[in-house]
Amino acid sequence: MNRWRLPFQRENGGRSRNTLSRGAGSDTLAAYLFIAPAIIGFTVFVGYPLIRSFYLALTKYNGLTDPVFVGLGNFRRLFTTDPAFWPALRATGYLVVLYVPLSLILGLALAMFCNQRFRGVRIVRTLSYLPVVLPAVATITLWKFILNPQVGLLNTILERLGLPTSLWLQSPTMAMPSVVLMMLWGVGGTMIIFLAALQAVPTELYEAAKVDGAGPWSAFLRITIPTISPIILLQVILQTTAALQTFNQPKILTNGGPGFSTNVLMLSIYNNGFPNLGRVPQLGYASAQVWVLFIVIIAVIALAAKFTSLWTYSDNTPD
Amino acid sequence: MKTKLIGAALACAGLLTACGGSDSGAADGPVTVTVMTWESTQTNAVIKKALAEFKEPNITVELLDTPSGQYGDKLSSLTQAKKLPDLFWCGNDTEQQYTQQGLLVDWSPKLSGEFGADKFVASAIKNWTTADGQLGGLPSLMNTYGVWYNADAFTAAGVPIPKSGWTWDEMYAAAQKLTGKGGAKYGLVADQLTGPDGPFTMSMYAVSAGGAPFTDDVNHPTKAEADAKYTEGVQKLVDAVKNGSVAPPGYDASNAQSLFAAGKVPMMFGGQWLAAGFQVDKPKVKYGFAPFPQVTTPATLYDSVGICTPQYTKNQDATFKVLEYINTKVWDAVLPESPVAPPAYTPAQAKYFGALAEQPTVVDTVKADLAMEKTVGVRFTTQWAQQVGDLTTADYQPILAGKKPVTDLPAYIEKINGLIKSGG
Repeated sequence: MNRWRLPFQRENGGRSRNTLSRGAGSDTLAAYLFIAPAIIGFTVFVGYPLIRSFYLALTKYNGLTDPVFVGLGNFRRLFTTDPAFWPALRATGYLVVLYVPLSLILGLALAMFCNQRFRGVRIVRTLSYLPVVLPAVATITLWKFILNPQVGLLNTILERLGLPTSLWLQSPTMAMPSVVLMMLWGVGGTMIIFLAALQAVPTELYEAAKVDGAGPWSAFLRITIPTISPIILLQVILQTTAALQTFNQPKILTNGGPGFSTNVLMLSIYNNGFPNLGRVPQLGYASAQVWVLFIVIIAVIALAAKFTSLWTYSDNTPD
Repeated sequence: MKTKLIGAALACAGLLTACGGSDSGAADGPVTVTVMTWESTQTNAVIKKALAEFKEPNITVELLDTPSGQYGDKLSSLTQAKKLPDLFWCGNDTEQQYTQQGLLVDWSPKLSGEFGADKFVASAIKNWTTADGQLGGLPSLMNTYGVWYNADAFTAAGVPIPKSGWTWDEMYAAAQKLTGKGGAKYGLVADQLTGPDGPFTMSMYAVSAGGAPFTDDVNHPTKAEADAKYTEGVQKLVDAVKNGSVAPPGYDASNAQSLFAAGKVPMMFGGQWLAAGFQVDKPKVKYGFAPFPQVTTPATLYDSVGICTPQYTKNQDATFKVLEYINTKVWDAVLPESPVAPPAYTPAQAKYFGALAEQPTVVDTVKADLAMEKTVGVRFTTQWAQQVGDLTTADYQPILAGKKPVTDLPAYIEKINGLIKSGG
């Protein structure tokens, strides 16, 4: 009845070598059976699509007829003739450069503010995190109205205050900063992780520093930052990955425009794979773009991990 | 145990067969014809009611519940899964592309008598016919375009109301006078001129001036060109964008309709379908719909939508009967409630125009557009049309925005011709 045994269960106290061997074999089988759903899931939903997308990247495939093998033709078109590819890479890079540092700085600042003891701190924390749990599409649409240059709330307020207005999402220069501004609306997600890290910093370190005459700025630079540096590294990687895969905001706010100014790589991939009604999908070409994005993400994360590990604090001292 | 397993497997297989695909029944037995539209829930309800009146022994019509948004994604998924319904709403471009891939039923042999090709708007049948003479669907509704104007704003600014025969110069002059008046940021919002399809719309200027259109044929192009007249039209648009009277490329025209209704946009390019919305949500201003301006002779944009049938439809005769019913009877019930577009089947147009009695300028302009001799296509319908859109964003729109000189136009045209030659 009890066919599968846990690894620590042994018949006759596990004394017999043969019994141990048989037990180990069935334990291994049981282990594989237990992880089988995860392996099957990975194979079906990650492994196979990965291999299939690589194959499709080497084909001309519109989803209507069978794929036609074109070798590196799609990659050649990407790097040489496609007028949208390099602007898409530039827009993606610009978004990362703008968004990642700002989200880290604002997230950390907000976390430090929320890490203090004052009346109503819980309400402030809740309000800071609230945008993260609100439906993304609804909030992005709301921001689209706010940023409307003609009848939007932001320009109306600026006009009333006698301040200069902007075309925001309709300006080639302001469109990406406007998208990033909207993305920073969800900085509560970064804040909550930093807050957890800050609360794990031993208070005696601050007390000792205070005794030694350290001021708040010195304590922040010499205690807080080094202690939470592994979390900063984690945040750099998380935020960079998220920024490289940004889709919702430019899709809803600008659909890539004006021109190619907010046409980030994910949006470009989507528009090639799932174009407007009446346009034929370029699934092979979109797959080639996916692989470029995949390699860019791997490279950026590897570089981030490599360089940040130089200053990341880790406690390697033996106990 | 083994028998039970086999039984269960057979039962599952039976269930899967029953659930999968659009099995429309045996060829000589009861048949269900499925229909999918991109219309709104309200319009679909009227269509459903009209389809319920279809009385033919052994044929049941089923209108599939589909969200009107993201119709393109749904169509694409169903095409790839080979699960397209028997009749689905499609554009001229989809019809051309799918027919070339051998995916659609050719209806040309079926058109005869009271439902003959001569009963349809001639330009629609011409444009829906592929290079090898197939008709991979039937045009159902015509899209006509023109200029929506706020008559109150024109009167207040002392500018003559647009009417048939007005010129491009008059339009730009009016735009300049209307700019900044009554909360209007721009005098003219013309997404069709400054958006991805802008180069095609500009053909109207060239053709009207006796020049050549941007391309010789949007369905089967052999070349693109920008002759002297075309370049002159582009230069005038560039000047208008530069002086701030025309909304530049990148302007978000998605809410132009509501801004127009609120009196914040005095003049905009648009289709006749806006009239259906204005019929229900009446704009705050007195408005009208005028034909496009001209240089010397009238010219307009051509566009139409229709209904297609996948090649694997099992009951083509039954499907054609339903298709004929939709074109000849359903619009009579739908268009009085929602006058979105004139039917391509001309005997059915009376109800559409009757429904627009309150908007006489729309009736006049749509009739004039449908009768116009010089028409230009709105965009390429080819497989590589998406790449043209990218080239337009990269090279044509910066010219309009003044970031590149008009002398760069030939370089853009050369790239389009490269695409035409290579076939994408």
